[in-house]
Amino acid sequence: MQVVGLTTPHEVYVASKERKFRINELVVIEDPYQGNLIGEVVESNSYNRFIPLSIGSGIHDADVIESLKHLGYSISEDEINIAKVKLLTEANFPIVTGCPVRLPAFDEVRGYLLKGKREDALLLGEIKNTEETAATMEDDLKGLCDMYSRGKLYKTQNVPFFLDLRSFQQYPHIGVFGGSGSGKSFGLRVIMEEIMKHRFPAIMLDPHYEMEFSESQENISTIQDFTQYFKKFQIGEHIGVEFKHLSRKDLLALLSAVSPLTDAMSSAVEELHLHGDTYLSFSDRLELLSEALEKGRGKIEQALKQDLEPMEKDKYKKMKELLEKYQNIPLPSVQGITWRLRRLHNSGLFSHDIKPVKEAMMQGKLVVVQGPIWLLQVFSTYLLSNIYRQRREYKDGELQGQTAQEYFPPFIIATDEAHNFAPKGRDAATKGIITEIAQEGRKYGVFLVLATQRPTLLDETVTAQLNTKIIFRTVRASDIATISEETDIKVEEARRLPYLPSGDAFVSSPLFGRTVAIRVRYPYTRSPHTQNPLDEIQIHRVKSEDKLLEAIKPHLPIYAANFARAVEEINKTSGQHYEVRTLKDALETLVEKGRLKKQSSPLGDIYLESGI
Amino acid sequence: MLDLDISLKQRFEQVANEMRLRLKQRPSLDTLRNMISDKGIGTFAKCHRLGKKDLLRIVERGKIVGVDGSTNSSKGHFPYVITLQQAMAKPCSNDESAITITDALSPITMGNFSSEEEYREFVKRNLAGLEVKAAVAAIDEYSPKVILLDGSLVRYKIEAPPLWQKLKSLALAKNIILVGVVEGISTNLISQCLKDDLAEAIHHASDWEILFGLLDVGERLEIAQGLFKEGFRTFFMRSSIDPKPIGIDLLEEQQIYLNEVANLVYTLTPKDGRGIPLWLDIIDKSVRISDKVMEGLLSTYLGEDYIEFIRPKREKREF
Repeated sequence: MQVVGLTTPHEVYVASKERKFRINELVVIEDPYQGNLIGEVVESNSYNRFIPLSIGSGIHDADVIESLKHLGYSISEDEINIAKVKLLTEANFPIVTGCPVRLPAFDEVRGYLLKGKREDALLLGEIKNTEETAATMEDDLKGLCDMYSRGKLYKTQNVPFFLDLRSFQQYPHIGVFGGSGSGKSFGLRVIMEEIMKHRFPAIMLDPHYEMEFSESQENISTIQDFTQYFKKFQIGEHIGVEFKHLSRKDLLALLSAVSPLTDAMSSAVEELHLHGDTYLSFSDRLELLSEALEKGRGKIEQALKQDLEPMEKDKYKKMKELLEKYQNIPLPSVQGITWRLRRLHNSGLFSHDIKPVKEAMMQGKLVVVQGPIWLLQVFSTYLLSNIYRQRREYKDGELQGQTAQEYFPPFIIATDEAHNFAPKGRDAATKGIITEIAQEGRKYGVFLVLATQRPTLLDETVTAQLNTKIIFRTVRASDIATISEETDIKVEEARRLPYLPSGDAFVSSPLFGRTVAIRVRYPYTRSPHTQNPLDEIQIHRVKSEDKLLEAIKPHLPIYAANFARAVEEINKTSGQHYEVRTLKDALETLVEKGRLKKQSSPLGDIYLESGI
Repeated sequence: MLDLDISLKQRFEQVANEMRLRLKQRPSLDTLRNMISDKGIGTFAKCHRLGKKDLLRIVERGKIVGVDGSTNSSKGHFPYVITLQQAMAKPCSNDESAITITDALSPITMGNFSSEEEYREFVKRNLAGLEVKAAVAAIDEYSPKVILLDGSLVRYKIEAPPLWQKLKSLALAKNIILVGVVEGISTNLISQCLKDDLAEAIHHASDWEILFGLLDVGERLEIAQGLFKEGFRTFFMRSSIDPKPIGIDLLEEQQIYLNEVANLVYTLTPKDGRGIPLWLDIIDKSVRISDKVMEGLLSTYLGEDYIEFIRPKREKREF
């Protein structure tokens, strides 16, 4: 391998007859004046000067090429491989043309491939195309994870890719971008597994109900048991919001998460919500006021003049009071607040609190919060503000020398579909808190891992704060443009984004100072719904057939002439509700599948056990 | 086309018509065939593509080597000319590297040329010499069975006699077949023999003119012994769909191999190509000294100032 052609201080072409180049390989350029320089292959071409690309002259006669092969010459071996190599650090002056190029030993490029200490790092996968270099690295770095590619599971042969957890203090937030099927969800799973391995407290918002870490992958070489490391909560089922502890701000955020509030509604909430309100007291007040506004002062006063039961009278009195107190609040506002509040209540949100979340986090667990996306937004607004505040207060207190504050650990917040939580150009309940954490979470040791398939739809302030970006296959031009703008990804790499195989990604991180091409490792665990819907249907079908066969077996043979009685008997013993028509269809299906036999007889068809 | 001078156009049309007329003077293809056979000028024969077994049998006896040369002169006024020459012998194998023999000439350093033509003639002879040298070296290096040379064997005999003698005797001693592959046929053996039967306009027609389109693909015309230059045998062959034939020379002593050589050349020639064995084209590509290389060498070793000095004015035309 040697440098050929015109060179510059930052880019050269390298040619080789024997070896094909692979993109993202590191090479050592032995410049006689500037010493050894490290470069990365950004483009790889092969050229055979005897098989030129010219439309007019056509391809060489295959027979002749074959004949030459018999004579001992294979034209395809006369290939020249050419690589465009970018230097990792710019040289002082152009590289000497003709100087030798070789593959590096691991120690020569260690600094470019490994950052930080292995014990403090997240093992995300392997650095692509580093086999030869990996062969010279120390044994305890070899084969650290399983890889999965083209239907095969194997130990990695490459240099492992570590993301230093310690570096989060400097570069706190991670973005994970990629379209569907790009391996983004796997990537997110791997990140979360690694975080769990370090027992770093984390919260994962899971709108897809897929973040489950208790099932191990099949055939994997190392089984990791995460069952003690994470805890799954469903909003309204296990966790919720304690209404009494809601500040007015929280309440406003919650209500507006259901549906945005008008200014009138917001000021109405500010007026109506009283310190120490429970859900009951607040909703009663709302309903009463709403009724009062509907009836109007005249009707209420009239009613009070009439003879009423004491309870009824009491109610009207209260209505009158409310009406006097809140005379400026319009009825539609009150109604708007009421239905929003009811929807929150119906979700079970107010029947629980977030104590279990905090407890799990104190134990260094990963908390998976599941719920439909709208509720997740509502709840996470409250949850994140709450725990972030707690962490901030503790940290601020510590800075001010107050040791009385209750300890709350640093933590990571992760979510998929992040563009729903911090969308660009529109408001969302969670946007405020996520933006705040993105901007100053670093100070308090609160880090974000935001995954999305639409980086373009993610709020720009947030995107700008994502220091480390892991980019999987992306097809949309607008997203590629956003990625190119927001990362140090090279033109050549951006062009490859639509073609990345699932599981391959570029990592753009200030820590590395360049884009690293990686392949994400095979996760230890798997998502609960990886069953193909087609399989699901087939399995369900077989199961229901089995059930039917089981039910009718004691009643065989069944005579078509006698269907009505057979149905009756079957329903009686099996507890099912077949009808004559459905039973007939079901029997026909079983016959078709060969599980029953049908015989014609003078009395009509007879259904028999197929074995007979 | 529009702004071409009218009289120029007319004159051109006239000349073009005359050119067409000349070809029309040629008898019909069938008549020509009969005339060639009847006069005993040569015999027509078919070539066959060799199969894997035949090829392996050749390889067992020795390699196939191709030889070609290239020459490139810097543009400049005589005697400010540098000529670079390179000859290459390359065995048909991926494992062995080619033999390259190079030379750089200039009238300045050699000093005894009175005219540019004389120098050109010398350059031509020198290249033939280099090619023969490469062929001789190849005999030592690769112990070949067949050597394909790019160009007529007669040319080597004329342009580099002593070296040619050496090559010839070596080849005969070691039973190595020398084959000259002629791309541009310049002989007129056929028209010479048929003089009385041909229209006057084509009395001196070249053999390629007469044979254009006459041979079928894979067909050859073996010129009768004695008609060609003394000591050689030759045949014309249409080795691809290209209607213009190529010429193949052999040593008279090795004429028993004529059939075998014809089949081999036919086998190694792409049927859609221009009719030259692919191996020779590959060597041609490897040996060629491009203008770019020439320019590069000049600027490295002569310097920009001297290049400026020797560069002819016509090189500086802007349009």
